[in-house]
Amino acid sequence: MIQRVLVANRGEIACRILRACREAGLSSVAIYAENDREGMFRELADESVLLEGDTIAETYLNGAAIIQAAKETGADAIHPGFGFLSERAEFAQAVMDAGLIWIGPSPQAIEQMGDKMSARQIMKAAGVPVIPGVEIEEEDESLAMEAIRNAAKETGYPLLLKATAGGGGKGMRVVNVPGELENGAQSARREALAAFGDGRVYVEKLLMKSKHVEVQVLADTHGRCIHLGERECSVQRRHQKVFEEAPCSTMTPSLRERMGQAAVAAAQAVDYVGAGTVEFLLAEDESFYFLEMNTRIQVEHPVTEMITGVDLVREQLRIANGEPMSVNELNIRGHSIEVRLYAEDATNNFLPAIGPLAVFRPPTGPGIRLDTGVREGDEVTPHYDPMLAKLIVFAPTREEALQRMRRALDEFVVLGTTTNIGFLRDLCDVPEVISGDTYTSMIDDLYPNGYQFTPRTEDLDVALMTAAVAETTGMHRTTVASSQGSVGIASPFQTLNRRYP
Amino acid sequence: MQHEFRYAGETYDVLLERTPKIWTFANHCAHPREDGRIRIYFEDGSKAWAHVAKVGDVWWVHHSGRIYTLERIEAGASSDEHHGGLVAPMPGVVLEVLVTAGESVEAGQTLMVLEAMKMEHRIVASEDGTVTSVHFNAGDRVEQGANLLDVEAAE
Repeated sequence: MIQRVLVANRGEIACRILRACREAGLSSVAIYAENDREGMFRELADESVLLEGDTIAETYLNGAAIIQAAKETGADAIHPGFGFLSERAEFAQAVMDAGLIWIGPSPQAIEQMGDKMSARQIMKAAGVPVIPGVEIEEEDESLAMEAIRNAAKETGYPLLLKATAGGGGKGMRVVNVPGELENGAQSARREALAAFGDGRVYVEKLLMKSKHVEVQVLADTHGRCIHLGERECSVQRRHQKVFEEAPCSTMTPSLRERMGQAAVAAAQAVDYVGAGTVEFLLAEDESFYFLEMNTRIQVEHPVTEMITGVDLVREQLRIANGEPMSVNELNIRGHSIEVRLYAEDATNNFLPAIGPLAVFRPPTGPGIRLDTGVREGDEVTPHYDPMLAKLIVFAPTREEALQRMRRALDEFVVLGTTTNIGFLRDLCDVPEVISGDTYTSMIDDLYPNGYQFTPRTEDLDVALMTAAVAETTGMHRTTVASSQGSVGIASPFQTLNRRYP
Repeated sequence: MQHEFRYAGETYDVLLERTPKIWTFANHCAHPREDGRIRIYFEDGSKAWAHVAKVGDVWWVHHSGRIYTLERIEAGASSDEHHGGLVAPMPGVVLEVLVTAGESVEAGQTLMVLEAMKMEHRIVASEDGTVTSVHFNAGDRVEQGANLLDVEAAE
């Protein structure tokens, strides 16, 4: 029986899991790096352990130190969250070898799904459709380029180059015409090598105007493996999701059943246990293709929770404890949308931003859920992922959910750090978003020269008046002394090659 | 009351007019609250809230779902018309003196902090140089236009 859970993560997802532990009556342990000493997640744990060191390799990626922390604090289970060690099979194995419960699938399942090549093979064998494409096994530069040229002839253009070991958009390149192939392939290989230490890529046909639709699966140790419907995450910038919803606006009951069955087959093919997500590309003709399986809880899991009434993290705890899942018939109701609030400058190619959260006032009211790991007064630093919060709305229909999201974004006040709130608000008014005809390259198509914001003269006048009145009446006595500087400081994020969950 | 701000590379002059409790600009009125918010009254009778906070020299304003970052251009910090002298923008009290004569300073460095009309004014160096003399101490009262300190520009 699990009594005490160590959460091997930080920020928003650590808060989410620590709260679930509290609700389940389990005690909890957080781990933290020195620069997270003031982190909100620490306060939600019964106990926290400092991991010494200045790099994430010494802290959140330090499996040995994390297992030792679990031993020393009497934790009997480890929840990895997402990112960091969540999809490292050798860490899962080490946790189990140490006599602890791993809240996740088996190391074998993680390994089989983690390598895109082996996942593709297993899916083909299990009868799950995969995108036509060619795996490039050659390591040598000139041999690999030769193989990529041949593969491109097979798949045709446009095509997509992806890092074999990749994720989060790193090592990914779209090639529209043969003339771009050489450069695209070289930079994809370079980036893959830098990010994952593995320069292998694969070449696949790029399906135009396709949707990113993923299916949530849940499997317990009592032989039950089910799907919890789909999420649509087509709206992406730089291959990272920003706007996610459930259900998918163009879904039909029969297509949901076919995709759900394919997802269950994918999970069963690797004897999956716990919560996982099978990602598909859904083409305009309703054909769908396996992309990858994420063998962990996912950032956008709340939208599924909202429309199914299932608490996925609680189910993870239950399943890891050897209990049967407590989910009945799939019963989808209403519509849920999640947006990811990033500290980033949407008008400058989504460059991550840093600064103090001088004011952080999230919206409240009916149908609003905020999953965050920060609060007012915190500092956004360049050390970690710039995602500040996930704003989730729930409403009876898609149209009402979108109206609620507009209202919530208008209410959300963040001062001191540049965020993408204005960009997200503009997205809610895009005709494709309103109609539900979203597709993965939509943002690039909408803003070919980058997203820009031009204020109305009267709004800028109000802002100028506000600043002038505030200055004149001494409201700057509440000034925040920022150790990070203010706007205009170059952000170091772009050079860090971090992998985003 | 006049202020100068920079937004998206452009410079804006704001001349505020004052009635007893309300400030006006461009036919809009503003009434500041104690909680970091400002009530906005429009000509047509409609109202709105603006949230405001200052970080460094930048005012962050949230109005109607949008954020505006307005960099305040310090009054009195320009040395061009005073031959290296830095003058008080309005009558007030010296809160802090951050440099001593002989010290080298960098452009943008805060040299002195004044309080005047419930506002803090930072007197900043407009260019790299050396402080040649400081004319006031903390606690001293200064008149508008008083020469606060002299900075000799570096070659």
